[in-house]
Amino acid sequence: MPCGEYFTDYGSRMGLFRWRTQRIALALALPIPFLLPFVLGGGTVSLLSKIYIFAIAVLGLNVILGYAGEIVLAQGAFMAIGAYSTSRMLGTGAGLLPSMVIGGLVAAGVAVAFGLPAFRVKGFYIAISTLALQFIAEWFFLNDKATFIHGGVQQSIPVDVGLIGGFVSVSSRTDIYFVALVSMLLFAMLSLNLSRTGIGRSFRAVHENDLAAAVLGINVFQNKLLAFAIGGFMIGFSGGLYAIWIGFLDPGFFTIELTLEHYVMLLFGGLGRVWGALLGVAVVSFLLDYLRNFFTAYAGDATALIPVIFGAVIIIVLAVEPKGVLAALGQLKEYLRKWPYAY
Amino acid sequence: MVDAGNLFATIVAGIGIGAIYALIAMGFSLIYKVTGVLNFAQGQLALVGAYFVAIFAAPSIVWFVPSGSVAGLGGIGALVATILVGILLGILLERAIFRFFIGEPVLSVIIVTLALGGIFSGFIRFLVGPNFRAYPASILPDWNVPLPLGAEISGPFAIGVVLSLAVVIALMLFFRYTVTGSILRAAASDQQAAMALGVSIERTIIIAWTLSIAITAIGGILLAMANGGAGFNIETTGIIIFVAVVFGGLDSVPGAFIGAIVVGLLQELGTFYVEPIVGPGFGPVLPLIFLLFIIVVLPYGLFGTERIERI
Repeated sequence: MPCGEYFTDYGSRMGLFRWRTQRIALALALPIPFLLPFVLGGGTVSLLSKIYIFAIAVLGLNVILGYAGEIVLAQGAFMAIGAYSTSRMLGTGAGLLPSMVIGGLVAAGVAVAFGLPAFRVKGFYIAISTLALQFIAEWFFLNDKATFIHGGVQQSIPVDVGLIGGFVSVSSRTDIYFVALVSMLLFAMLSLNLSRTGIGRSFRAVHENDLAAAVLGINVFQNKLLAFAIGGFMIGFSGGLYAIWIGFLDPGFFTIELTLEHYVMLLFGGLGRVWGALLGVAVVSFLLDYLRNFFTAYAGDATALIPVIFGAVIIIVLAVEPKGVLAALGQLKEYLRKWPYAY
Repeated sequence: MVDAGNLFATIVAGIGIGAIYALIAMGFSLIYKVTGVLNFAQGQLALVGAYFVAIFAAPSIVWFVPSGSVAGLGGIGALVATILVGILLGILLERAIFRFFIGEPVLSVIIVTLALGGIFSGFIRFLVGPNFRAYPASILPDWNVPLPLGAEISGPFAIGVVLSLAVVIALMLFFRYTVTGSILRAAASDQQAAMALGVSIERTIIIAWTLSIAITAIGGILLAMANGGAGFNIETTGIIIFVAVVFGGLDSVPGAFIGAIVVGLLQELGTFYVEPIVGPGFGPVLPLIFLLFIIVVLPYGLFGTERIERI
C-alpha cells in the first residue's frame, strides 16, 4: 500500500468534515462572506451576488450532468421559466421566497416533461430534446401572443419585496446579497448530502453505465427523472434570484450563451463535485468580469472573443484534465502531504 | 379556405429550403457515420461558409482590413476559396482537436463540439461584427424557375435542390462503388478491425471531415444566398437539421436527405398556416416539436441502425 493517510472506518470516510483542519477552516471562513458587504464596494458585492446565483444554477446542472450524466442544454430555458414564474408570483404579493420556490417547481415540472424521452433513449437524444426546449422557450418568451401565460416579454421586478408575504423587506443590493448567499449555502449543503445518500449513489450508477445499473435493480428511468426534477428546481430557483438581481426581465438574458457559460464553469471546476462547481463559478465569473472590462476598455468589438476563449478553455480542460481543476489541486495536495518521503 | 395555388407554392418553398437543409444534414450524418462524432457545431460550420464568401468577395468588411487595400475575389473565386477554407478546416480540426478525443466518452465529444460552435461564431463575430452582410450582386442568382399553378422556385433553392440530389446520389455511389468509400465504410463499422487490415484511420477521418465541411459550407452559402447575404440567424439551422438527422436515423445519408425535406416542408407549412394563429416565428419551432415526438416514438429514425448494447 502506498504511503498516505487512510480512513479506517466507513463513517469517517463518508463524513461531511473528514479532518479536524476542515472544521477549523469552516469555523474561521464561514463568517467571512457574511461580513464582506460591510467591507467591499457595491460593484464587488453585486458581482459576488451574481456568483452565488450562478452557483445555484451550476449546482443544479451538476446534479443532472455530474451526478446522473444526462446532457442538458437548456440552462437558459430553465432559468427563464424560473424567472418569469417568480415575476408572476411576485405580482400576487406572495413574497420573494414562496415565489422563487414556485418558480423552481415550474422549472422542475418542465425539466421532467422534457426528460420523459429518457424512457426510450439517452445521451445525444436527451441533449437534443433539451436543446429544442431552449429554442422553444426563447420563441415562447419572445411571443406577444403568450402574454397571458408569461405576463409580458419584458418586465421589471418591483424594487421592494417582502421575503415571505409582506414581511422582512428585501430592497437593497446588500439584502439581495444575503438572500443569494444563504440560498447558495443551503443548496450546496443539499447537493453535498445528495451525493452521500442512496439517491446520489443510484445517480452515479446510472451515470457510469445505465444498463448495468438496471441489471442491479435500479429504476433507471425514475432516477433520471428525479435528477431532472432536483436539478431543474435548483436552476429555476436561481433563475428567480437572477431576475431579482437584474431587476428586469428580457428573453435576451436567457440564451444558449448562458448554457455555454455554465458548462465552462462546471467543467473548469470539476464535473460531479460540489466544491469544483463552486470554484469554477467563482474563477470563471471573476475572469469573465475582468475580460469584459478589459475588452470594452481597449477594443470594442473584441467582446465577441469571449465565447472563443470559453470554447478554448473547455477543449483544453477536457483534453488535459477531464476531471477539472479541483482534481488537479487534489493531486497537488496529495503530493505535498506525502512530501518528501513518498514511497 | 386552403387555396391550392398557395398550398403548392408553400410546398415548393418547403422542398427548396429542405434541400438546402439536406446538404447541412448530410454533412452531419456523414461525419457521424464514419467517426462517431455528434457534431453540435454544424450550424456554425454553415455560418463559417456563409460569412467566408462575404469576406472573400469584399475583404474590407473585416475590421482590420482598410477599405480598398485588398481587392475582393470575384463571385466564383470567393466560392472556390471558401470551399478550400472548409477543406483546410477539416484537416485542422482532425489534427488539432478530434485526434485527442478518440475513445473518449460521448459526453466529452458533444461538449467539445459545442465549444467549437462557440469558437466559430465568436470568431466570425470578432472578424466582421454582428451585422448582416449582403452578398455582392455578382454571386446572387437573380433568376426564378417557373412551375405550374403559378408557383416559382427562386435561384438558390433551385440550385439547392439540384445540388443536394447530386450530393446524395454521389455519396451513395461513393460509399458503394469506390475503394475509398468501402474503406470509409469499413472504418465506420469497426475501427480496430479496419486498422488491423491496414486502413489508415487518420486518413479516413480527415477525408470524412473535409467532405462533411465542404458539403456543409455549400449548404451555408446557399442559405445565405436565399437571404441575400450572411446573417447570424444561420446558426439556428444547427438545431433544425438535428430534427432531420434524427428522423432519418443519424448515420444514414439518404435518411438525412429525406428528413431534411420533411423538415423544410414542416417549417414552411408552419410559417404559412400556423403562424397567424400562434404568433410570429413559429415556423422553425414546429420541426422542434416534431423532433420531441420522433424521439419518443421512433428513436432510431427511418433508416438508422438499432444499437444493441452489452455490459
